[in-house]
Amino acid sequence: MSAEFALFFWPAATIAAYLACRAAYRRRAAWYLSPLLTAPVLLIALAVGLHASYGDYLAGSHVLMAMVGPLTVAFALPIYDQRAVIRRNWLALSVGVGVGSLIAIGSGYGLARLLDFAPELRQSLLPRSVTMPFAMNVSGHVGGIPELTAVFVMITGIAGAAMGDVLLKLLPLRSAMARGALFGMGAHGAGVAKAREVGAEEGSVAGLVMIMAGLANVALGPLIIHLFA
Amino acid sequence: MTAHRLPLRLRALLRQSRLVQLALIGGFWWLGTLVAGWSGLPVPGGVIGMIAVLVLLLAKGIRPGTIRRGADLLLADMLLFFVPAVMGLLDHREFLGPLGLELLGAILLGTLLVMAGTALAVEAVQRLQVRHER
Repeated sequence: MSAEFALFFWPAATIAAYLACRAAYRRRAAWYLSPLLTAPVLLIALAVGLHASYGDYLAGSHVLMAMVGPLTVAFALPIYDQRAVIRRNWLALSVGVGVGSLIAIGSGYGLARLLDFAPELRQSLLPRSVTMPFAMNVSGHVGGIPELTAVFVMITGIAGAAMGDVLLKLLPLRSAMARGALFGMGAHGAGVAKAREVGAEEGSVAGLVMIMAGLANVALGPLIIHLFA
Repeated sequence: MTAHRLPLRLRALLRQSRLVQLALIGGFWWLGTLVAGWSGLPVPGGVIGMIAVLVLLLAKGIRPGTIRRGADLLLADMLLFFVPAVMGLLDHREFLGPLGLELLGAILLGTLLVMAGTALAVEAVQRLQVRHER
């Protein structure tokens, strides 16, 4: 495949794979049909078959990746729509983000120590509960590898969205606030998408918690380096 | 039709167009990255842009309708934008073995703890507040 053709081929293939996987997910909303799992599986199989590296893939597809920036800006709207909910529940939200971030970083570090992972793997694992643009930012700062963190973030998102459904049935959660925080803190982008399926309030709380967690982790970055690096 | 009504209609049309709204959102992102670059803050440009839009919405500098269609377009299909980063697995085949399983286990357990801890903490605060108000 020529380099010029690859430039257009991979973003087109990504969109096509995403649309096909989204259609499959709409027919049957099971965690293993999440487009964030099925689309990469299809595309990785294609890339392996065509002997393409991540660099070949990204040459054209970084445009899609860059849309994460405007997407973050777009979150201003659901937050604005839910301003009354936020004003009423700022304490619960702040406690949720604080507790969630501490557990995320603490469990990441503890489990990595337990399983004896290499330092750069351990550092890449720390910011996995944070949404993609924040996570890659923090990972670079604490000595991790941003690409590895992206993969961990993805796995966390899919697994979190899937396990969240089970947790909702097990935990005695009465408030939409707690249900939304669960998905936004545990499974960031994929969790927000899932929370939007549960309910409008859950969806915007999840989006809000996701962004608050990202901000908290970026702000705490220097402290994390000090404690765990 | 008077001369000044056409620009008004055009402006209304532009305001309703998803593409114009997307471009506006993109513009805020671009400004955010510029501010992030100048200030040296370790905060992504998208977050600075988001805070700017939120402040403008709250201050009634822009109406929600001015960006709603564009924002919904991005939010509805946000998973698409996360797919390319996941393709980084192509350069890390070493995860297709025991190390990958260990990592998966650590991530699953850690995520379960995060979600349960967060949800229970939020629920506890809410119940305390409800009891307090009575």
